Amino acid sequence: MANQSRRDFLKQAALVGTAVTGLSTKSKAAPKNSLSEDRMGVLVDTTVCIGCRKCEWACKTAHNLETPPLESYEDRSVFENRRRPDSKALTVVNEYQKNESEKIPINVKVQCMHCDHPACVSACIVGAFSKQENGSVIWDGDRCIGCRYCMVACPFQVPAFEFEKALKPDIKKCDFCFARTKDGQIPACTEICPVEAITYGRREDLVKAAHEKIKNYPHRYINRVFGESEVGGTSWLYLSSKEFEELEFPKLGKDPAPGVSEAIQHGIFAYFVPPVALYALLGGVMWINKNKKNDQETEI
Amino acid sequence: MRSKIILIVLISSLAIFAQNKKEAHPNLNGISCKTCHSCDIPTKENPCIKPCPRDKMVSINQSPEEGPNVLVIDKFKSQSNIYAPVVFSHRLHAEMSGMAGGCKMCHHYNPPGQVIGCSDCHELMRKRTDVSKPDLKGAYHRQCMQCHRSWSGKVDCVSCHEPNGTNQKNKEQAITEKSSKRIHPQVITPTVLKFDTPKAGGKIVTFYHSQHIDLFGLECQSCHSNESCAKCHIKEKPASLKAKTADQKHAVCSNCHDTKSNCNMCHSSTTKEGFNHKSRTGFDNSKFHASLSCSRCHLEKTKFTGLKGDCINCHGKWTQENFDHKKTGLAFDENHSGIECAECHQEKNYSNPVCKNCHEDKSYPKNVPGKLIKKK
Amino acid sequence: MEDIKPVPMNKKFFTPIVIGLSLLALNGFLFLLARFVFGIGSVTNLDNQHPWGIWIGLDVAAGVALAAGGFTTAALGHIIHKDEYHAVIRPALLTAALGYTFVAISVMIDLGRPYFIWHPLIMWNGSSVLFEVGICVMIYLTVLYIEFLPIVAERFIGRVNLPGLLKRLNNPLDKFLRILDKGLEKTMFIFIIAGVVLSCLHQSSLGTLMVIAGPKMHPLWQTPILPLLFLLSAISVGFPMVILESLITSRSFGLKPETHILSNLGNMVAPLLGIYLAFKIGDIVIRGTFVYLTTITTASVMFTIELLFGVIIPLRMFLSRQISKSPTGLGIAAFLVIFGVFLNRLNNFLVAYTPPYEVHSYFPSIGEISVTLGFIAFEILLFRIAVMIFPIVSVPTLSAQRTKYTVRGGAK
Repeated sequence: MANQSRRDFLKQAALVGTAVTGLSTKSKAAPKNSLSEDRMGVLVDTTVCIGCRKCEWACKTAHNLETPPLESYEDRSVFENRRRPDSKALTVVNEYQKNESEKIPINVKVQCMHCDHPACVSACIVGAFSKQENGSVIWDGDRCIGCRYCMVACPFQVPAFEFEKALKPDIKKCDFCFARTKDGQIPACTEICPVEAITYGRREDLVKAAHEKIKNYPHRYINRVFGESEVGGTSWLYLSSKEFEELEFPKLGKDPAPGVSEAIQHGIFAYFVPPVALYALLGGVMWINKNKKNDQETEI
Repeated sequence: MRSKIILIVLISSLAIFAQNKKEAHPNLNGISCKTCHSCDIPTKENPCIKPCPRDKMVSINQSPEEGPNVLVIDKFKSQSNIYAPVVFSHRLHAEMSGMAGGCKMCHHYNPPGQVIGCSDCHELMRKRTDVSKPDLKGAYHRQCMQCHRSWSGKVDCVSCHEPNGTNQKNKEQAITEKSSKRIHPQVITPTVLKFDTPKAGGKIVTFYHSQHIDLFGLECQSCHSNESCAKCHIKEKPASLKAKTADQKHAVCSNCHDTKSNCNMCHSSTTKEGFNHKSRTGFDNSKFHASLSCSRCHLEKTKFTGLKGDCINCHGKWTQENFDHKKTGLAFDENHSGIECAECHQEKNYSNPVCKNCHEDKSYPKNVPGKLIKKK
Repeated sequence: MEDIKPVPMNKKFFTPIVIGLSLLALNGFLFLLARFVFGIGSVTNLDNQHPWGIWIGLDVAAGVALAAGGFTTAALGHIIHKDEYHAVIRPALLTAALGYTFVAISVMIDLGRPYFIWHPLIMWNGSSVLFEVGICVMIYLTVLYIEFLPIVAERFIGRVNLPGLLKRLNNPLDKFLRILDKGLEKTMFIFIIAGVVLSCLHQSSLGTLMVIAGPKMHPLWQTPILPLLFLLSAISVGFPMVILESLITSRSFGLKPETHILSNLGNMVAPLLGIYLAFKIGDIVIRGTFVYLTTITTASVMFTIELLFGVIIPLRMFLSRQISKSPTGLGIAAFLVIFGVFLNRLNNFLVAYTPPYEVHSYFPSIGEISVTLGFIAFEILLFRIAVMIFPIVSVPTLSAQRTKYTVRGGAK
């Protein structure tokens, strides 16, 4: 019996302990982020993409965004300008000339990369972003306060803000068709792509398939899978015949984007020890100085 | 009772499994298991299939007439009804690809046996687990767009697809008719091409195109593979050869020629003569061998060295009985017919016969053992 | 030593400068109205590549830094217990309270959904630097108001005089103020220390804020020791801020500047600036980023101006005895330090931030500048109003007797 109560006590103590550390690391209330072994991804083969922009149409349709009719997407003059995803188009395709001797251009689809260690998830003040089990990084509109720190943090400069809305602006970015994938469908862009330049599958399988492709066609691809290790890995992976920097991919290291700032942050707030220690130190100094003053005053 | 049923089910499923094993690979002659499987003993549970090796597979080579005239691609009826099934003029495309890569431009995987179509390997469903190869729709479009895109840069759907509800039958008939006729004119091949190269001391490369076809028997695709229609038909010509690297320029020749060490073979300061068997090898094939194809003697493909000029190499079975000496332009007189070849042609030297064995005072060609006649 | 006491200022409120400031504030308010009607995009030059402009880079980042006088003087006066500096604590406290209030308001107007500003209180993300800054600023603002309460109590105890029907509340309110004053007198040390700790935390974290931008930020500024640099610069700008403010106040109200106290404060600035400079230079040397200074670009020019005019020159000035004795010299040196820190925040948040895919580089719009100027003007006006209502500015007791209010409490 005594043993029992002691065990209870230990249990309670442990509970209190975890509650305290939970409070101190402050992550308890944040949405659950996970990095599943079976997370999905997309392999983009830029040597296959024909720049038909069907994915843009499918994306807008799937996300209830305004879109001109499908036929209008055959107009290739849009490629004259470099475009970026924004609040009205979550994905865009850009065109780059391969090189002067070859006629066929390179088309590159741009959207959220769905990082394995997303900077937006780390940065968001209210934890509105979360990395889901299937690999998607999604935004929770009920939490967002519109501070746009995610846009500062994102190494790919992807999240877009509805600057034109006064009352309830949203952060807009590709959500990996979270609603569709939950229903067992595949993302809208990957479904419509006529040449399947974007292949949806388990990220692990895609990495393997990508390397196999490079091995089989060393002349067709450069030996690099963009997104395999950039900023700690991304769900979207790219194959290319040209250096990625020439296709305006950002030059990024292999460390997760939020790595340094999280290290600093957790260093300063290691279980609240540094702030509490500082508080105690200042309190001590104050007390000593006050006593000194009082002593002096009483001496007088 | 129940256990018996289970046993029967188990056994029968085992039997089916054993049969499936063979049926899964209908035509495999010529391909080793290792080409596709990474492990020694693939099982149904763990087939350990490698990604499709494509080029390493044996591929077919048929004439365009052997394939179907048109194909109606209606596999996607259930997935989308925007467009009518595509009527694909197979023969026409086969004919065109004959000028470039041949059948394997599309039928990149084809072990010997029956021709394998796209849908035999590429899955119909896009949502699938095997991501090593594109799904059927992707595979089709990739094949088509590879050429059609380079043609005009256009990627619009309606150049191949007819919106649903149009007069499908008429369309099909038109394409069938068109495809049954040979519409592409015969490609006129050049006889000789001269290339100006930047190489010092060997600026000129004379390329006898017709010799490579007629004499060496090369197929178009042995050099012109990976070239689409756009190579000839494109309006803006791609940048000239000059833009290519030395390696790229040599690539097409280096399949057969040693382009690394033997430059003078092709490069010269003057225009070179075409291939002449006598001057190149010392063996004059113009007398008796002119009508032969190279491969009659040079059995190993693309390897033309190593044969000796001795007739006996090929003609080992000739005796005085079955050899018609008249063909050499010399009809024996009575005295000399019936003599063993070796009596005169010592040490297998057939160009300079000796008479010393029988006649001390005679020699060839001062004396002739018969009558010189016109060669046959 | 002359006995000095904080008293409410008794002067005419409207001067030409005040009217000018009012117009600036009004102008800012009009643009603010447009922001809430037509959206942030209509008033600012912000876009998807430049999510943050001067409302964050100046109003918030520089605002927080320049309000550092509050915690530095609190630390000096209350914790290290140098009584002679008590005269500057109240103005510094008022500046801090006002400054942080406007920081909060600036955040509000920059937020896409200002009505959700309370979300961080219940939706926590421990790895977010911004969350930490936000929470610290919220608590610190509360602490600042608590620290200000005794001044309010001092002003109104015994003089609560509500008009009309509210008259009946006069007595209870007076009692409440007395209880509050007494309770706070005993517990104030808790809030004072908390204020200093909270300041250290968020002043440094404001630097960590930009670390996550990684390669999007120019290497001259992007460094893992950004939080330390921010903290050091905030500490060094605290006293110059108090010096300049005191000089301006005394000039504005026609008082004799407290040169003695101010030059003593100035003497403490030099070592603080020195430490900051050492870290700043050590950082670019160790990381080897000084090579960027060899070419003339916007970044290198801005960095040089920031370091030369904002740190090195004022450091030399504060080291000179002659300059630190004269109000003008002190004023200029203090101004340069403030300018340096101001520019540093501007550089860190805006100049150094060069995002990929930018279509055009960011320059604040007329609307943004108007709102920022309007806020600054309004803040100065509020400061003026506050020192005229509450006993904040210390004056020699002789002149204090001439005021129409009798002062209860005051310096104990």
